Amino acid sequence: MHKPPLYELTNIVCAYEDEPVLQVDSLSIPDEGPVAFVGHNGSGKSTLLKLLSFLLPQVSGELRFLGKTPDKRDDARLHATLLLQEPYLLRRSVFENIAYGLRARGENSLQERVVEALEMTGLSADFARREWYQLSGGEARRVALASRLVLRTRVLLLDEPTANVDEENAQLIAEAVLDAWKRWNTTPLIATHDLQWLDAVTQRRIFMRRGKVERIAY
Amino acid sequence: MERGDKAAASTDLLRARGGDATKGCILLNYLSEGFLQGFALIFSGNEEVWSAVAVTLKLSGLSMLVTLLFGVPAGFALGYFTFPGKGFLRLLVDTLLSIPTVVVGLFVYAFISNRGPLGQFELLFTIPGMAIGQTILALPIVVALTASAVESADSRLRFTLLTLGARGRRLLFSTLWEGRHQILLAAVTAYGRVTAEVGVSMMLGGNIKWHTRTVTTAITLETGKGEFSTGIALGVLLLCLSFVLNWAVSFLRRRGAA
Repeated sequence: MHKPPLYELTNIVCAYEDEPVLQVDSLSIPDEGPVAFVGHNGSGKSTLLKLLSFLLPQVSGELRFLGKTPDKRDDARLHATLLLQEPYLLRRSVFENIAYGLRARGENSLQERVVEALEMTGLSADFARREWYQLSGGEARRVALASRLVLRTRVLLLDEPTANVDEENAQLIAEAVLDAWKRWNTTPLIATHDLQWLDAVTQRRIFMRRGKVERIAY
Repeated sequence: MERGDKAAASTDLLRARGGDATKGCILLNYLSEGFLQGFALIFSGNEEVWSAVAVTLKLSGLSMLVTLLFGVPAGFALGYFTFPGKGFLRLLVDTLLSIPTVVVGLFVYAFISNRGPLGQFELLFTIPGMAIGQTILALPIVVALTASAVESADSRLRFTLLTLGARGRRLLFSTLWEGRHQILLAAVTAYGRVTAEVGVSMMLGGNIKWHTRTVTTAITLETGKGEFSTGIALGVLLLCLSFVLNWAVSFLRRRGAA
């Protein structure tokens, strides 16, 4: 049976204060595993990720997700979650940060799921008791990642996940993201210009420049 | 100047200085007696003093409950959404921050007096009637500061909540929760305004003993009667309340900045 693409973009335009920042005539992202968006700063990667995670609407054009045009972005957001380049932690404990999305979905077994997500990002279960202001930068990033992994969404979008991160943490992030894909079919879509790190995650690349897709390599 | 005149001038000077010193002593005695008697009234459980405190707490509690019920959601809406006329509305709210208490008292009096449109509810010279006036004083503070808290929230907060699946009421309450220290600060600031005001309480309450006499109206009355010690007692209690409020403000500011 033909598997629909993960995303199909047709004549998409996104704008910021009436200035186009993303223009995609036609792009199909197949549902075949991790994909990376590569490009310099200002190439439109972050805007594209926000579009694909249904956080930003397009000014014009059509966006299809798994073969359908989503009726409500609120519902579509339950299937695609974004880790921002500079993640924001909610002003509460690590446990509550990670459990937040599960509570929003009305899910149970919070304790189990939170511990699992912590362990995937190399943090012990004890970490759950810490408060947001007690974390280092690297720990905060891992907690933010855990809060997305725990949701087991269909797509996990990551914006520069290794920015200001040391090698050890970068490797942990790569392993966690691939682990989620293998376990739950959570496809990672990654915006980065860290090509060395990317080699450990995926060879499938979409190159972007000045808000447009320049080249597809897969 | 002859020697005799010099001596007389020195004596006059000494008498004048001595008179100033005597006046100073009398003043100090007056103040210290007032303070001592004031503290005695407080710790002896003087009924008039503590009745004024009880009325103040009931009144401020009622007005703050209504203020927060309407003010926090209104402040959220003003800070979160973009709509036509938002700038004007914000200017209006900010202007109302410094509205004189007697002006509020005057307008509310016109409404709730016997000849006013709400006269049939007999709210004049009652705590609920006074609470209407105090709510009007406190509301702009809570709305303006809550709106500021929402506007100054980290720009990543909204995206984070949305991408984690929040929507509707959860989005509203989560956004407010993230700014909880600033919103509490708004509440404490508003509370300080209503407990310290005189104009509204006097005009709408009538300063009726045991019923609508608050700490501030009681101070005004007692000092006018020359009952300095009672005024001192009430003033000390009000200062204690102000101290606690300011400590709370300082604490919340530090937590909010963390």
